[in-house]
Amino acid sequence: MAESSRKEIVLKTTGLSKKFGGRWAAKGLNLEVHRGDIFGFLGPNGAGKSTTIRMILTLLRPTSGSVEIFGKDLHKNRRSVLSRVCGIVEKPDFYLYLSAYRNLEILGSMTRRIRREEILEALDEVGLKSRAFEKVKTFSHGMKQRLGIAQALLTRPELIILDEPTSGLDPQGMKEVRELIKKLSVERKMTVFLSSHLLSEVELVATRMAVINHGELIVQGEASELLEREATEFSIQASPFDAAVKFIRNLPWVEVISSENGKIGVHVSPGHASELNRLLVTHEIDVSSFYPHRTLEDFFLKVTEGTSEI
Amino acid sequence: MNLYSLEIYKIFSRWRTYIGFGFIALIVILTEVVMKLSAGEIVHRMMRSLQKDFLIFGNVLNGWFVTGFIMNSLHIHIPFLIALVAGDIVSGEASSGTVRFLLIRPPSRYKIITAKYVTTLFYTAGLVVFLGLMCVVPGLALFGSGDLLVHHFGKFGIVLIPEAEIPIRMLVAFVAAIWSMTAVASIAFLLSTLVENSIGPIIGTMAVVVVFLVIGNFPFDFFRSLKPYLFTTYMVFWQQFLDDPIRWQEIAKSAVILGLHSLGLFFIAFGVYGRKDIKS
Repeated sequence: MAESSRKEIVLKTTGLSKKFGGRWAAKGLNLEVHRGDIFGFLGPNGAGKSTTIRMILTLLRPTSGSVEIFGKDLHKNRRSVLSRVCGIVEKPDFYLYLSAYRNLEILGSMTRRIRREEILEALDEVGLKSRAFEKVKTFSHGMKQRLGIAQALLTRPELIILDEPTSGLDPQGMKEVRELIKKLSVERKMTVFLSSHLLSEVELVATRMAVINHGELIVQGEASELLEREATEFSIQASPFDAAVKFIRNLPWVEVISSENGKIGVHVSPGHASELNRLLVTHEIDVSSFYPHRTLEDFFLKVTEGTSEI
Repeated sequence: MNLYSLEIYKIFSRWRTYIGFGFIALIVILTEVVMKLSAGEIVHRMMRSLQKDFLIFGNVLNGWFVTGFIMNSLHIHIPFLIALVAGDIVSGEASSGTVRFLLIRPPSRYKIITAKYVTTLFYTAGLVVFLGLMCVVPGLALFGSGDLLVHHFGKFGIVLIPEAEIPIRMLVAFVAAIWSMTAVASIAFLLSTLVENSIGPIIGTMAVVVVFLVIGNFPFDFFRSLKPYLFTTYMVFWQQFLDDPIRWQEIAKSAVILGLHSLGLFFIAFGVYGRKDIKS
C-alpha cells in the first residue's frame, strides 16, 4: 500500500458517471491506476466495465465526473494524452478488406509516423509476420486479438486499455494473450488496464484491481492484498488422502466442504491458510497442490462484507 | 499518411467504391455502341420534328451531343451511386466496429469527420469526372466532333453551340454537375453519421431525391410553392451552361443555394458526430 501510494498515478477517474435514459451504467467511479500496474477491472457482464472504458477512451461522454490521464484532464488535452494511450474496446475489429500490415499502417499512422520495419516487427512479436499481407477477414478471433496487441506495440503507448482481451478465446489463445500482456508490462514498461468478468483470468496477471457491480465501485486495491483477504476456500490435493481428510477434520478452524476425486475442498478461517499447509507437511502428508478456490460471485459477497477501499 | 490520404486509401480499397465506376462505364459504352449502331434511326427521329422549322445539316449526332444526351439521362441515377459510398463512409465504421479504433486515436472527431467529408466529395467529383471522360472520349472517337445541338425540355426552339465553344462549356457544365452532386453526397453523409448501418443512409438519400423530384414536378400550386425550397430544383443547373444566352444570375443563385445546402448538411453532421456517444 505504501509503495503504491508513492507511484505516479497514470489514470484517475473522479466521480465518473454515465446515465443511459433512467439507468446509471456507471456511477461515481473513483479509480486510480499507477504506473507499471497491471490493473484488473473486474465485474460481471453488464456491470459497467465497457461503459467506463469507453468514457476513458472518449467514445462516450460522461454524464458527470472527470478523467485524468498522466495528470492531465483528458477532455482538455485529448490529443496529447491519447497519443500515449492505446486501447481495444470489446472485440478487436479491423478493416477486413485490408491486410494486417495495412491495418496497422492506417491505425498506427494516426498516432505517429510509422516505418515499414516497425510494422513487421510488431507483427513478428505477436506471431503474425507470416500473415502480414493476408486480408484480416481470413483471421481467427485469436489472431485479431493478437493483431490488436500488435497495434498497441506499434504506437508505443505508456498506457494500454484492454476490454475483455481473452473473451471468446480458446485456452491456448487465452494463455498467449496473458503472456503478451505480461510482456507489455515487464519488457515494454507499459501500464495495463485490463477488464474481465473472470476473476481467475485477472488474478493470474493483475498487480492491482478494482471490482464494480451495477456501475458502482465495490472495492479497489493491491491484488495480492484483496485476494489474500478473500481466500477462505481452498482446494487441496494431498496423500495419503484419507489421512489428510481425517487430520483436517480435527482442526477447529477448518471445515471440510468436500472430499472426492482426490481433492479436499475446505473452508479455512481467515489467516489460517498457510498454517494449514504447514501443519499438513509437518504431519508427513504430501501436499501436491493447495490453491484458493474463488468465483467472482464469492469474491463480491466477501468483499462487500469489508470496506470498499483499502 | 495523413487523415485525408488514409480515408481515400480506405474507400478505394473496397470493391463497393468501384460499383459506381463500373456501372457508368457499362451504361455509357452500351449507350454509345447502341447509338452508333442505330445512328440513322436516331437522327431521323431527332430531325423529324425539328426539320419542319429548321434547315439542319452537318454532323448532328456527334460526340458532344452524345455526351449531353447521356448526362441528361443519368442525372437521376448518379445520386444513387454517390449514396452507395457516401452513405457508408461513417456508418460503415460503426457497423464494422472499426470506429472504436478510429476514435480513440489522437486526431479529434472533428478532424476525422472533416477528412471523411472531403473524401466523400473527392469520390463524388471522381465519379462525375469519370462520367465526363467516359462520355467525351469514346463519344468523340465514335461519333466525331461538330456543333452541339441542344433542345431543352419544356422550351421552345433549339440552341446551337459552335464547336469551338463546346469544350469549355462542357468543362464548366461538369464542374457544375460535381457541385450539384455535392448536395446529394452531403445528405448521404449526414444520414451516415446518424445511424450504424449503411443501408439506411443509401435508401434515405434516394428517398429524399426521389420525393423532392416528384414534389417539384407535381402540377399543383401547393407543390409549386415548395419548389424553390427543394435542392433538387437546382440540381440540373449544369444544363444552363449549354444554353444561349448563359443566364449567369440563375447559375449563381443555384450554385449558392446548393453550396449552402451542402455546407449546412456538413455542419449538422459535424455537430452530431462530434458529440455522439459511440455505443457500437
